[in-house]
Amino acid sequence: MKDLLFEYDMHLDFAPPVEEHRFTLKCIPLTDERQLINRLDVEIYPKEFLSTDKDSFGNYSIYGYTKGQHDRFFARVRGQARTGLAPYLTAKEEHQVGLFKYQTDYTRPGPAILKFAEQFESAAEKYRKSGDENQTRFPEREIISTGSATAIFDFAITLMHGLYENFSYVQGVTDVRTTAEEAMALGKGVCQDYSHILLSLCRIWKIPCRYVVGMLIGEGLSHAWVEVCSGGRWYALDPTNNLIVDDQHIKISAGRDYHDCIVSQGVFVGRTTQTQTVAVRVKEMNP
Amino acid sequence: MQEMDLYRHTDTVNELLARYGVKFGIYKNNEFKEQLFPFDAIPRVIEAEEFTYLEKGLKQRVMALNLFIKDIYSEKKIIRDKIVPEEFIYASSGYLAQCEGVMPPKGVYAHIAGIDLVQGKDKEWYILEDNLRVPSGASYPMIARELCRRSSPLTFQQTHIADNRNYAELLRRTMDYVNTGDHTVILTPGRYNSAYFEHSYLAEKTGAHLVTGSELLVENDHLYFIDYSGRKEPVGAVYRRISDEYLDPMNFYEGSLIGIPHLYDIFRKGNVALLNAPGNGVADDKGIYYFVPKMIKYYLGEEPILHNAPTYLPLYKEDMDYVLEHFDDLVLKDVAEAGGYGVQFGNKMTKQEKEDFIALLKREPRRFIAQEVIDFLDIDIFENGECVPRKADLRAFVLMADEPLVWKSGLTRFSRNPDSFIVNSSQGGGFKDTWVLSQ
Repeated sequence: MKDLLFEYDMHLDFAPPVEEHRFTLKCIPLTDERQLINRLDVEIYPKEFLSTDKDSFGNYSIYGYTKGQHDRFFARVRGQARTGLAPYLTAKEEHQVGLFKYQTDYTRPGPAILKFAEQFESAAEKYRKSGDENQTRFPEREIISTGSATAIFDFAITLMHGLYENFSYVQGVTDVRTTAEEAMALGKGVCQDYSHILLSLCRIWKIPCRYVVGMLIGEGLSHAWVEVCSGGRWYALDPTNNLIVDDQHIKISAGRDYHDCIVSQGVFVGRTTQTQTVAVRVKEMNP
Repeated sequence: MQEMDLYRHTDTVNELLARYGVKFGIYKNNEFKEQLFPFDAIPRVIEAEEFTYLEKGLKQRVMALNLFIKDIYSEKKIIRDKIVPEEFIYASSGYLAQCEGVMPPKGVYAHIAGIDLVQGKDKEWYILEDNLRVPSGASYPMIARELCRRSSPLTFQQTHIADNRNYAELLRRTMDYVNTGDHTVILTPGRYNSAYFEHSYLAEKTGAHLVTGSELLVENDHLYFIDYSGRKEPVGAVYRRISDEYLDPMNFYEGSLIGIPHLYDIFRKGNVALLNAPGNGVADDKGIYYFVPKMIKYYLGEEPILHNAPTYLPLYKEDMDYVLEHFDDLVLKDVAEAGGYGVQFGNKMTKQEKEDFIALLKREPRRFIAQEVIDFLDIDIFENGECVPRKADLRAFVLMADEPLVWKSGLTRFSRNPDSFIVNSSQGGGFKDTWVLSQ
């Protein structure tokens, strides 16, 4: 357990200015079983109309509209979080998490990922469900743990270790549009790519898993990791750092892939060049 | 006798239809072309008793489909109870995760359903497909009837035909039922859309405002329509004729220029009704079609009144075996395509095409369904002064207001090519009025 102070700053600069700007922000961490958000201070500029809601994945979203001309836009979030309160989140029933088993445009595997996945086939065998009539109907590689509640989680850790050994952290070679398959073929990328590849691998075996956006102790950008559903619980894995998420991470949002968790989205009127700057700082209160 | 009088006016009616702009636009080879929709004056006639049976079956089907969509985006009981494999839901392009947990006003998802049926030589009706997103076509028999009545009033005085000009009333009742309290608008992508005539005609007949996305805006969690003087009028219901993906760039396809940013956010809050609700595509997927009779039993505890055409899902091994064995007797449909595209007949393929197709089928079994070719009951059309038999289907319109309403008419489309089974207007077919006899 840790008490963390966090700051999230996102600036957009427009040259020349824009108007009729509509935006949606998903940059607010919420209290759940694993983390308690104590103080929260949100500032958004400029805003003429602001509203809040939760999206279909339960992520907190702030959306709004600025009609007049402006050349900058920012969102500043400050708060305190107590993290590492529980090792997992309670999941909904099995039939309710099915949508996280299926590949998306970002995670759909191609030759590079499928080839990489072959080495895990024997490990997966241990967890394979047997004697289910669906098995013959859907010749998928579905595994459903018959043994311990953490069987799927254990297998996902195996996948994460394998990925970590075979993928390098390099900035600037991929961007937000890079798919898991493209990154795998390249052999390098950033947290978004690690997470998408791990999701792709898990989903080959029909393991429900989701993409998570959040903040990590230290300074830098926002971070991404993965949650895997095993035995009715969501366990969090950080494939970029090859570790099981404990109390160093603050979760902001979750979805099927990057696209469901876009931190800042907008449409506006104006022929402009926009520059986005994101700064995240997370530090311990009483180290 | 009177009917002959009506047929004499075929050309007049077609000229008037052209003058009223009853056209549909299609894109072919990246070019936009407007085509006339040829009208044939011989109506499809459905006896009162037979229509009562269809009506019961259609209401039952659309009620079950609505319950299915509601269940899929909330409790998912039909998945839990293993009636529909989840694979069919989540791998369907019509399933939109953004719609999870969102309840439309009054819980209605499919307000306007276009159900396509064919009649076999055995006189039995079969459902071909359900259209629950933005089905079009009601305006064609509406205006055709109006013009026919004008050119041959006697026909309509002496035959007991249910008046089909009440479609606008049914539509209004449907829109009003879910309206959250303000104006009603019909949202069109604009005049280059294939069904633009219909959008403008329905707006005129219902009294709703015809608008494009640029005339609507979201402010303070409410939707407004900007009228010609720049005044903002609150909107409570949008009969939208643009597809889900383009509806709202903040929630669906970001590149959409015809959508309204944050429209879906305020829909989620219950501040506006969208007809039809986004996400309905999960229920009219050609793969899900197979499961509709099971849904009727599951949700309503009733036996399905209307039957599907016998359908096979190659994803199931036993069905795949059947499809490979009876390949030449089947029609194969790509589940992702609409408008008569992606439909192939086993017996029309060359040896090479067949081999390629089977390889593709084995690679992507979920992508296709196979159906027995139904021996259609031909209906007559006039061509060069004589009656010739052609294949035809019927699109019935079912509206979900406080209760399901079936329009006593429908769009009968026919294939002009005597050898073709494909009747879609985008493939060059024509249409007929559909008379439901009132006694």
